[in-house]
Amino acid sequence: MSAFWAQLIVGLEWTFFGYFLCITAAYLALHYVAVFSIIDYMRDHRAEYLPQNLPDYQPPISILIPAFNEERSINSTIHSLLQLDYPEFEVVIVSDGSTDSTLSSVIREFSMVEFPEAYRQRIRTEKVRGIYASTRYPNVRLVDKVNGGKADALNAGINCVRYPLICSIDADCILHRTSLGRVVRPFLEDSSTVASGGVVRVLNGCTVKDGFLEKVDLPRRLLPMFQNVEYLRAFLFGRMGWSPSNALLVISGAFGVFRKERVVAIGGYRTDTVGEDMDLVVRLHRRAREQRRPYRITFVPDPICWTEVPSDLKSLMGQRMRWQRGLAESLVPNVGLVFRRRAGAVGWLAFPFMFLFELVGPIVEIVGYISMIVLWWFHLIPLQTFLVFLFLAVGMGIMLSTNAIFLEELSFQMYPRVGQQLRLFLAALLENIGYRQLIAFWRVIGMLKWLFSGTARSHWGEIARDGSWQHPKGAGEAGTREDASA
Amino acid sequence: MDFDALNIAAPLVEFAFWLGVAVTAITLVMLAVTLVMRRVALRRDRIYLEAVARWRPLIVAEPRAAGAAGAAGADGLPRLSARDRSGFIRVWNEVHESLHGGTTDNLARIARETGLEPQLYGALQSRSFHDRVMALIALGHVRSAASFTHLVTHLHDMSPIMSLCAARALMQVDPERAAPLLVRRIVERSDWSQGNIAVILQEAGGALVSGPLTEATRTAHGELASRLIRLLAGVSPASAAPIIRSWLLAAENEHVVSTCLQVMSNAPDLDCVRPLLAHPRWHVRMLAAATLGRLGVPGDEQRLIAMLSDRQWWVRYRAAGGLLHLSFVGPERLRQIQDTQSDTYARDIITHVLAEQAIGGAA
Repeated sequence: MSAFWAQLIVGLEWTFFGYFLCITAAYLALHYVAVFSIIDYMRDHRAEYLPQNLPDYQPPISILIPAFNEERSINSTIHSLLQLDYPEFEVVIVSDGSTDSTLSSVIREFSMVEFPEAYRQRIRTEKVRGIYASTRYPNVRLVDKVNGGKADALNAGINCVRYPLICSIDADCILHRTSLGRVVRPFLEDSSTVASGGVVRVLNGCTVKDGFLEKVDLPRRLLPMFQNVEYLRAFLFGRMGWSPSNALLVISGAFGVFRKERVVAIGGYRTDTVGEDMDLVVRLHRRAREQRRPYRITFVPDPICWTEVPSDLKSLMGQRMRWQRGLAESLVPNVGLVFRRRAGAVGWLAFPFMFLFELVGPIVEIVGYISMIVLWWFHLIPLQTFLVFLFLAVGMGIMLSTNAIFLEELSFQMYPRVGQQLRLFLAALLENIGYRQLIAFWRVIGMLKWLFSGTARSHWGEIARDGSWQHPKGAGEAGTREDASA
Repeated sequence: MDFDALNIAAPLVEFAFWLGVAVTAITLVMLAVTLVMRRVALRRDRIYLEAVARWRPLIVAEPRAAGAAGAAGADGLPRLSARDRSGFIRVWNEVHESLHGGTTDNLARIARETGLEPQLYGALQSRSFHDRVMALIALGHVRSAASFTHLVTHLHDMSPIMSLCAARALMQVDPERAAPLLVRRIVERSDWSQGNIAVILQEAGGALVSGPLTEATRTAHGELASRLIRLLAGVSPASAAPIIRSWLLAAENEHVVSTCLQVMSNAPDLDCVRPLLAHPRWHVRMLAAATLGRLGVPGDEQRLIAMLSDRQWWVRYRAAGGLLHLSFVGPERLRQIQDTQSDTYARDIITHVLAEQAIGGAA
């Protein structure tokens, strides 16, 4: 019996250690690819070397803003979008059965009148109650529909849009004036591009004036600061690493551009998942691979979209549980993409990576921590062994975060002061002690919820925001909403 | 319990420990590298901004001085140092771009007196991509015939940005000599952005490039034909017209046909467009309806009315919009047409485009 237990413990140690080495090697490989991709990108886009494209060569874009109870931010978001530096675009706001004054507020602010739209339901959605058009801004329309979740709102918007490219953005996001021009660039450079996504950055700590970012700074509170480091990791090497091999599986729902006909061809956003943004990208890959159609899904690393991240534990917990659930709901139904003859890097590398390390990773991590603690508690392993594994796990996490800070320095240098860099490094250090483990734990709970409660309808996550970037002297803005995944 | 077997794991623990030490060391090195890079970047930016601050007033003042007092005012220009080169080139390029075709004689004189041209050849050998591209842009503004061969070398660069900047500079230096070279590269380089090429061609003027571009377009097929037709129609609609006509008549490649419909501007060729209203692909029918709306003659009204009952929303929408755009139809006539329609879809789409027109939207 004792030999059995001893063998089991040794086996466990080797298993966790092997898994740990694999996940770290995979992340380091991604980092390596991302470094070269960012160097290439920065080389070509450090400055505007060529004159601006002729307007005829900039495809018109329909910007979709799904909104549910966004009365506090929706008008300023629309006003800021109207100032975007792009030749031709329309803004379509979809109020998903808002119960606050979102609808009346937009109608009043933009002098909207009911519009006799010859509505065609290319994608099935909840009932559309009415469509409004602005008499002051001919490119602004509003769709009022019965509540059906974020994916359903996006689908209703797609049914209404006029242009061949659609850009989905969250109602509380802040864009640069040049954001549309940058994110649409892949479509101009490669006609097979079906989707492109941009970097989403943390808005907490920044200053926004008239709907535009005036000053970039680091968050002052610890929780948003940790998320800032996470966002750097996720976007700068998580996504930049996959993009060159056309294996990008996630485009944030907060800001992404898609070729409309390709989205309609796969039935639009799925409404029975909380991870509709990732699911859409996975299905775009799958469909194109199945049809053997040349395509590209690209990531643009310019910092083009800024969003406020949760600054309280409850909101963060809900968000991370939803994200993990969304990840599972996107991967599992599309598992047929894996290891197919023509699956390319997405089926042979990115999908297995996401499955093994992003989906299963938190479980292994938590089980690893718990088993080590239990074994040490019962004196089955010496304290030294426990501490060595902890040292390695934490050290590896800090190294990956430091790599992300290095990539940030290599690219956009949004935090240029040495003091800011040291604060970022301190956050990278601290987030690996407690915060990372807590996030992994919440992700496991999200997984368990998905396993035991079946599929969920796409819904609007609730996040308490402090909004200090927008109203420096005002009171907090509690209870606004955000998308189900980033 | 006997846990001697756990000793098997000892080498693993030792390995893990040393791996942890290595990881910590790498982390510290990465941090140090990041901080050093920041220091270097800050120093580089400072030098750059100092040069910009030193040269901007001189360069910006010179074109004005030329307007007011001829060539006076150049005596005080200092010699351009290697340290200032990058900042100077940037300001010099910016001022050029801001003049939008205005007189640049005085900027050229500044370049001569500061010895810019030899410095630009030096910058072309720089390891910095940014400095090389900025030098190419500046050489285009200098317009020295001696730079032509240097620029041709960079026209073949693998980087689309570098080669496009070289192409633009060549067209500024000697457009007649550069046009055939440029067109050859347009044919070969599918990674060149169409929009950028269009700007370069437009800057050069249609007359110079239309000859070689027309030749290339005539022999092109598929995706390439589509690209070239669009560019040719932009610089010389008259040269593009016969090629567009032949593609529309053949109606073989729907992608090229779609491009032709989007860019055609020759009303007499509408006889090739009308049969496309019955094309099996809806996007071809839609573009044909839009083209008739842009260029149509009275007889086309009935054809567009028939399209109001097409099974595709977009075809109906473009047909209704097209009717509205026809100068001899207008909103009143469109309402009359609506009254005669028995098809609900046709009536709805007319209501839609009329409302859109009333609020100033894009019908």
